[in-house]
Amino acid sequence: MRDAFSDFHPVINFVYFTAVIMSGMFFLHPVLLGISAVSAFTYSVLLNGKRTVKFNVFCLVPMLLFMAVINPAFNHQGRTILFYLKNGNPVTLESILYGAAAAVMFVTVILWFSCYNAVMTSDKFIYLFGRIIPSLSLILSMVLRFVPRYRAQIKVISNAQKCIGRDVSQGNIIKRAQNGIRILSVMTTWALENAIETADSMKSRGYGLPKRTSFSIFCFDGRDKAALAAIIALIAVLLAGSAAGLNTIRFFPSISAARISFFSIGVFCAYLILCMLPVFINIAENIKWKYIKSRS
Amino acid sequence: MEIYKIKELSFSYPQKDKEALANINLNVERGEFVTVCGRSGCGKTTLLRHLKTVLTPYGKRSGKIYFMGELLEKLEQRVQASQIGYVLQSPDNQIVTDKVWHELAFGLESLGMDNKTIRLRVAEMASFFGIHTWFHKNVTELSGGQKQLLNLASVMAMQPSVLILDEPTSQLDPIAAMDFIETVKKINRELGTTIIMTEHRTEEIIPVTDRLVVMEEGCITADGSPESVGKKLSKEKHPMFFVMTSPMQIYAGVQNKLPCPVSVKDGRKWLDLIAGETEVKKENSRAAYGKSSENTAIEMKDVWFKYRKDMPDVIKGLSLKAGKGQLYCIVGGNGSGKTTALSLISGICRPYRGKILIGGKNTAKMNPEELFYNNLGVLPQNPQALFVKKTVEQDLYEMLSGLKLEKQEKESRIREVVELTELNDLLAMHPYDLSGGEQQKAALAKVLLRKPRILLLDEPTKGLDGCFKEKLAELLKGLTRQGAAVIAVSHDIEFCARHADVCAMFFDGSIITENTAKEFFAGNSFYTTAANRMARHICKNAVTVEDVIELCRKSKCRSNI
Repeated sequence: MRDAFSDFHPVINFVYFTAVIMSGMFFLHPVLLGISAVSAFTYSVLLNGKRTVKFNVFCLVPMLLFMAVINPAFNHQGRTILFYLKNGNPVTLESILYGAAAAVMFVTVILWFSCYNAVMTSDKFIYLFGRIIPSLSLILSMVLRFVPRYRAQIKVISNAQKCIGRDVSQGNIIKRAQNGIRILSVMTTWALENAIETADSMKSRGYGLPKRTSFSIFCFDGRDKAALAAIIALIAVLLAGSAAGLNTIRFFPSISAARISFFSIGVFCAYLILCMLPVFINIAENIKWKYIKSRS
Repeated sequence: MEIYKIKELSFSYPQKDKEALANINLNVERGEFVTVCGRSGCGKTTLLRHLKTVLTPYGKRSGKIYFMGELLEKLEQRVQASQIGYVLQSPDNQIVTDKVWHELAFGLESLGMDNKTIRLRVAEMASFFGIHTWFHKNVTELSGGQKQLLNLASVMAMQPSVLILDEPTSQLDPIAAMDFIETVKKINRELGTTIIMTEHRTEEIIPVTDRLVVMEEGCITADGSPESVGKKLSKEKHPMFFVMTSPMQIYAGVQNKLPCPVSVKDGRKWLDLIAGETEVKKENSRAAYGKSSENTAIEMKDVWFKYRKDMPDVIKGLSLKAGKGQLYCIVGGNGSGKTTALSLISGICRPYRGKILIGGKNTAKMNPEELFYNNLGVLPQNPQALFVKKTVEQDLYEMLSGLKLEKQEKESRIREVVELTELNDLLAMHPYDLSGGEQQKAALAKVLLRKPRILLLDEPTKGLDGCFKEKLAELLKGLTRQGAAVIAVSHDIEFCARHADVCAMFFDGSIITENTAKEFFAGNSFYTTAANRMARHICKNAVTVEDVIELCRKSKCRSNI
């Protein structure tokens, strides 16, 4: 399935991910944490399909459990002592909960980054930072061009060397090392030699003339303006909640969080909308599409 | 009006006595399609590079170049960048960025245009070149032909008034090359852009060109329409005559007073007039092509292969037998699995079903020492992947470094190989400073030092000029005479038709048909040489230029009687 949120302007994508990743890291309030975790999980499944579910269950859940268990084994702060370990150290309720919260936070951030990777493709990243430093955007673009290219060439050289019995997979350890170094040396010569033609091609197309501009295929349209306004408003609510101390929780020595009030419920709702925004957008687009289809 | 006016241009590279360009005078009219041809190293590239100052090589220079009536060196860089488009040889090296759309915009960004203008120009060019279908792709996903088309489009986006192309199709397969040449012709015809181009693929380019310039040793030897240049060269029995198209060569071989044909189409008409309606009886000398099993050097038995478990098969039940002393050529379209078949023989890939036998032994059970010494030699498509040292000589010695041989034995072996490949004058050069053909020879010398009995070649004629191809063929024939088996994968139909002993057609992962070269091409109607396409309605068996000339002489004799 195509992700509708990815079609927004890179600025929107970037602001959104900065907001959710930062708040996911700093707001440890169980409700906020839960919202963030659920949204991150939903969105990552939406983006990457069934494969992610498998990965989440088999990699992230064990990691989560491991971290939740390891924290109370080393951290003995807290008031509510449950039992004592063999070496005499206490295991406390607070440290168990803190471990669980930290583990969820950690896994959530990983999930958010997996979404970030799928949405913020290299050209969006280059576009954003090219605005700030134009020459950097070209360098990044060239790096992304040359890394796969060099990797392919190393394969070519290694195959050619293999056919004269000199690949890294042939001979004893010392021979292999020698062969590896030889392949790298061929690669270096090749790269330097061929870069001359690249330089010629750049010069011939006017690279180095003053006042270079940076072209992009992205447009900032009305939809993007609306999305940006919404995201900023939601972040503002969230920050207001943070200033009022609603978003965090104290674990040690005893657990305490701000009381639930109308305002705090408002903040939670705002956070839910913010985190679920891409999912909502996708659902809305889907419904709209089906509606149009059914009418035509 | 003249777009370029070159007056008495001479040039020599630093520390070289010989002039790379000697007293060149050339005027190029606006809207002309000019093709410059000549052997590699004749100064074509040097001449073309003088037409844009940022690419001009360092050295001693005299004479003047005018661009649209102005001295080129006085012309502002910004004007030169946009007005003079330059496309180089390698499709890969010219691409700078990672996305197709960014590459298209690169030149316009350099000129400092605003986003809106760039958007329009890029859109125009993408539609003109049919790039819009892969506009958002990464450049790594493109084929060689697409890459070169992208290079052309990104230059054309700057709306140059002259387009200079330096052997743009030498790294492409014939179909992609034809596509590219067609596009260049379209630019010339529909946009009126002046084209100056060097090219080895003269069979395709001469019929579309307006004007042919032949260079030799830094001088212009002939200049004019293809017909007149052909006439001049054939009158002088000039060695450069072999660059002309097959119909022109056939025309020159037969005495007649008709106008000279350039393309295959004209050639057929001309042949009808010469040979008349008297259809030459089709000699059914179908020499029985049998496979003797005694002399088999290499055999593949029902080989199946795929790159990954969940991917489709690339090689499907391939069986192949090549005998000792044979030059075995495999032809076929792109992506049919030819190169994969070679890498299966060389052991880079392993089949999941079937066997590959070399001299009756299964390659899967041989260790690399056994396989690559005295047995199998592989020449990679890009010979640069083999060179490791600073000079050719050191490189050859390096090849023997791991072997336990007396010093004298090594020397004599190297001398032998150097003599065979005619590398004597090049021993002190850096391998990367050699021309494409010379690099090919040096790499071949390296492989031959291991005394292979079976030689595998992947596109050995890619990027070589006609002269080098003949030399390479001689070399390979010398090897087969000594009993080596040579298996070559090639797109070069003319080369295979002239020199191969056996040709095989590769399609969809296996060999469809296999026969002696002559029978093979006589049996095909499209996938065959230009000479055969010209003459096949009269005589199917005429495959090479010499065959058709022979045919014409015979029929002339007959009609005279």
